[in-house]
Amino acid sequence: MAKDRLSEVLERYEAVIGLEIHTELTSLKSKMFCGCPVEFGGEPNTRVCPVCLGLPGALPVPNEAAVEATVLAGLAVNCDIALWSQFHRKQYFYPDMPKDYQISQYDLPFCSGGHLDVEVDGDAVFQRVDRDSEEEYTARIGITRIHLEEDTGKMIHVGGAEGRISGAEKSLVDFNRAGTPLMELVSEPDIRTPEEARRFAQKLRLIMLTLGVSDCSMEEGSMRVDGNISIRLRGEIELGTKSEIKNMNSFKALHDALAYEIVRQADLMDVGERVVQETRHWDVGAKRTSMLRSKEEAHDYRYFPEPDMVPFAFTEEWVESIAQRVPELPDAKRERFMGTWDLPKYDAVVLTSDLAMAGFFEAAVAQTGPARAKSVANTMINDFSAHLNAEGIGVDESPVKPSMLAELVVLVDDGTISGKQAKEVFSAMVKTGEAPAVIVEARNMRQVSDTSAIEAVVDAIIAANPDEVASYRGGKIGLVGWFVGQVMREMRGQGNPKVVNEVLRRKLG
Amino acid sequence: MIDLSVLSATEIRDGIAGKRFSAREVADAAFARVEALEPSIHAFNQLTPELAEAAADRVDAMVAAGDELPPLAGVPAAIKDNMNLVGTRTTCSSKILASYESVYDCTAVRRLLDAGALPVGKCNLDEFAFGSSTENSAFGVTHNPWDTDRVPGGSSGGSAAAVAAGMATVSLGSDTGGSIRQPGALTGTVAMKPTYGRVSRYGCVAFASSLDQIGPFAHNVRDAALVLNAIAGKDEMDATSVTETVPDFTATLNDGVKGLRVGIVRDMLELEGLDPGIKASVEAAAARYAALGAEVGDVDIPAARHGLSAYYIIGPAEASSNLARFDGIRYGYRVDDATDVLDLYMRSRAEGFGPESIRRIMLGTYALSAGYYDAYYGQAQKARTLIIEDFAKAFESYDVLLTPTSPEVAFKIGEKSTDPLAMYLSDVFTIPLNLAGLPGVSMPCGLSEGLPIGLQVIGRHFDEATMLRAAAALEADLALDMTPSMARGGLDG
Amino acid sequence: MAISESDVRHVALLARLALTDGQVSSLQTELNSILGHIDELQGLDLADVQPTAHALEVTNSMRPDVVKPCLSRELALRNAPEAEGGAFVIPAMAGAGEDV
Repeated sequence: MAKDRLSEVLERYEAVIGLEIHTELTSLKSKMFCGCPVEFGGEPNTRVCPVCLGLPGALPVPNEAAVEATVLAGLAVNCDIALWSQFHRKQYFYPDMPKDYQISQYDLPFCSGGHLDVEVDGDAVFQRVDRDSEEEYTARIGITRIHLEEDTGKMIHVGGAEGRISGAEKSLVDFNRAGTPLMELVSEPDIRTPEEARRFAQKLRLIMLTLGVSDCSMEEGSMRVDGNISIRLRGEIELGTKSEIKNMNSFKALHDALAYEIVRQADLMDVGERVVQETRHWDVGAKRTSMLRSKEEAHDYRYFPEPDMVPFAFTEEWVESIAQRVPELPDAKRERFMGTWDLPKYDAVVLTSDLAMAGFFEAAVAQTGPARAKSVANTMINDFSAHLNAEGIGVDESPVKPSMLAELVVLVDDGTISGKQAKEVFSAMVKTGEAPAVIVEARNMRQVSDTSAIEAVVDAIIAANPDEVASYRGGKIGLVGWFVGQVMREMRGQGNPKVVNEVLRRKLG
Repeated sequence: MIDLSVLSATEIRDGIAGKRFSAREVADAAFARVEALEPSIHAFNQLTPELAEAAADRVDAMVAAGDELPPLAGVPAAIKDNMNLVGTRTTCSSKILASYESVYDCTAVRRLLDAGALPVGKCNLDEFAFGSSTENSAFGVTHNPWDTDRVPGGSSGGSAAAVAAGMATVSLGSDTGGSIRQPGALTGTVAMKPTYGRVSRYGCVAFASSLDQIGPFAHNVRDAALVLNAIAGKDEMDATSVTETVPDFTATLNDGVKGLRVGIVRDMLELEGLDPGIKASVEAAAARYAALGAEVGDVDIPAARHGLSAYYIIGPAEASSNLARFDGIRYGYRVDDATDVLDLYMRSRAEGFGPESIRRIMLGTYALSAGYYDAYYGQAQKARTLIIEDFAKAFESYDVLLTPTSPEVAFKIGEKSTDPLAMYLSDVFTIPLNLAGLPGVSMPCGLSEGLPIGLQVIGRHFDEATMLRAAAALEADLALDMTPSMARGGLDG
Repeated sequence: MAISESDVRHVALLARLALTDGQVSSLQTELNSILGHIDELQGLDLADVQPTAHALEVTNSMRPDVVKPCLSRELALRNAPEAEGGAFVIPAMAGAGEDV
């Protein structure tokens, strides 16, 4: 999709987007309503019991930790916690749903009425053509509710193309995932651009990771984002007909699918056709959405209070005790990084957008001392990030540990090695996993800053090159670089460039 | 051979402990009675002699080792075929589960067997417990031992008939609207629905989750109390089972009723269609309570008249949901020529469920469907509140309440099978207790034209002890012989 | 509230029951007879009455987050009408009806 086309459409139309985000509580030990372990994958039907298989007579008993995790998540995104809530049954037949109803929540969810502030900067700001400024901005996105439910099993469709339903001869059903605790967050339709949607989902993911309730893997499906989207002519109050988009399995897919859908709907409206209410599937390969089902098959879920369970009555004190467990959230951490170490916002954002990066930074700074925080940040944002990207690994998988990076920063900062040498040491560190001091020692890279030692070399070079000295003194100031090169070569690169420069300029007059 | 028609559970246990007979001999006597009587009763869907013998051998080994025997050691017990037990099929008397093998144990059954009981078999029921006659079974009708042309009541008719005929000393049933108490009344047995939450429902195939409760059938109040002792108490597998302390329900059985406040639910006794013989018998029972020193008075439960309506919304609504899982995917009947999944669902379920199940699923689905929820389910839940409040008020003045269990004695097989609504009226006195979560016990209080009459004694929530004490006092006073003629004697010639 | 023939057919689809025309017809009669009785509730003024989902006032019944043994796969599949490679087998999904 050409950015220009989206941009052109957004000049005339405003998008109204709401997200539904399902997050599996993968950090729990056991499933939502039974003691089967929560894990990913495995041989089919090896993590099932009478409860999660929906065998006759089996009964669900809610996992206390799942309820607490949901309340924790609600508090982290500014929700009100219901002091009276309960589960309902949502009824529809589907082969991956053992009981043919899903235990979910209906009119009494645990959390409601929250919000999340998302910051948009860079090129994406242009998507908000209604804003005059090209400055970065913050959008407050309302959160309608967060409720708790159980995940379904999984099906493999055999005989059709690419595992899709259409054309399949039969399907295999595995209930290992059935009953995994699943938190569903529903946003208000406050999102106006694909980029805001992406930032919202990314921020929510970071919050969930910070809370430690889920691994939030979009690849493995432990975080799943669906979108409701409609468009309307700018200035119009009435909402357009919405479509629901599924199968957006990455943040890029989320952005691109919504961008595609905005243009698709605009194309229809431009030629006087109507947008049909339907569910559409994002095909990441073809980069387009296609119809999954029309709204004609309207659901009648026949919700009613789950009679196998009793209601939840929470006290203010209990909610407060959960609130005490909310750790420092990304926004607060970013502010702290900026305040405590005087980091520029850009650095703070980069370092706090990943839990492991932030942890690495704090550990390294603890060793270097706060005065060298900016140097640590620079090294992490440049060399360290480049190394991680090159290797395609996470922070924890790198051979470079916070203590090593801190040591390197100190070696540069106290003049032991030059910045250029530091790059060499970093490369060696990545390869060998050895501490910087060891590498410096082994390679005899210790920088010479001793003025008298440098003066001796400078004197010898001046004495050996009278013609160049004369040219310099005659006005060819640029020759200083040549002299530096000569001195450094003589010193096998170990002269402190700053001191060498200073001595040369003095001696050359 | 041992005459099981005259031995109580305690007598069996003590007889084994005292080495007067072995548990194995008890098992043999039970199956001898089954062999003699079952052909004309059909109380069982499946007999489990291997399981019973193994259990008997464990009891006999304990005797040999000099171990103290558990309270129901060697007691032959029958289990309604909607409760799971590994080593048995759990069919719910439905074609859709005809070959379903249990892969885990129902908690109440497990506890009963852990107390030493011998599992005789799995008992016939109205399919999925939908009915009051045990005629709605995919595996044939159960006959009443008092008159084999008549029904034993239902839905736990097999469990009731097995005990009435002495093929089992005690049995387990489940009660959603009267499915223990009404067959108890029609077969002259003591039949109890405990307080909702008192006994775990785990492993009992759900009919209506907010109403279902497992309870015992027995020949006498004491045996029923012993079974309740064994099966009651919190189960971590059932979120609706409660942590309430479980007393020894036999401890106060002989304490009498002097000063006990006994309320006759007068407006129920005036119900149109109540058999006059039953009404007279209940009045007579009340008079006996007065004679025994109880303070007897009248009380009304006006909201109970809405019980049947509320029940026939809430029960089917929950049932329609609970029975959704019988879809032919993971277990149960499946048509073998389905073209796709929808076809598989639609025909497997239509062919697998019997007519009454289909009727209830349809009714419940309708009551929950878009646009009707408030008018039906919502309104029924509110009527339920009124019933709870009326009972609470009555219990401010009385310790136990009395009603008939059933408006009539055992009726003829086929008599009501074409009129669902007439059948539903069988439970008019029992349903309000399920809606209110209250415990109730049906006990024999006389005969009408040679058929047993049941008196329903109702207790406060979790006060089964007082309810059973009242029942035991009347039982001792009446001293009725409630053994049907076909079941008399040792049957060994 | 009377239930029409099309209501019966709609409800049968919701409940996944393939009814014959004869069943539809008799169910319509039976359900209307039952609803005729139940409709007495419509006459009650219950506007100020709270609904009861459970007869007992019990709340917060939960379990700790503890792993328990699973069923063996053999037992999990014991009653499967059709199984393959440890999975339950079902025919083509084309008509599952409601996708999620």
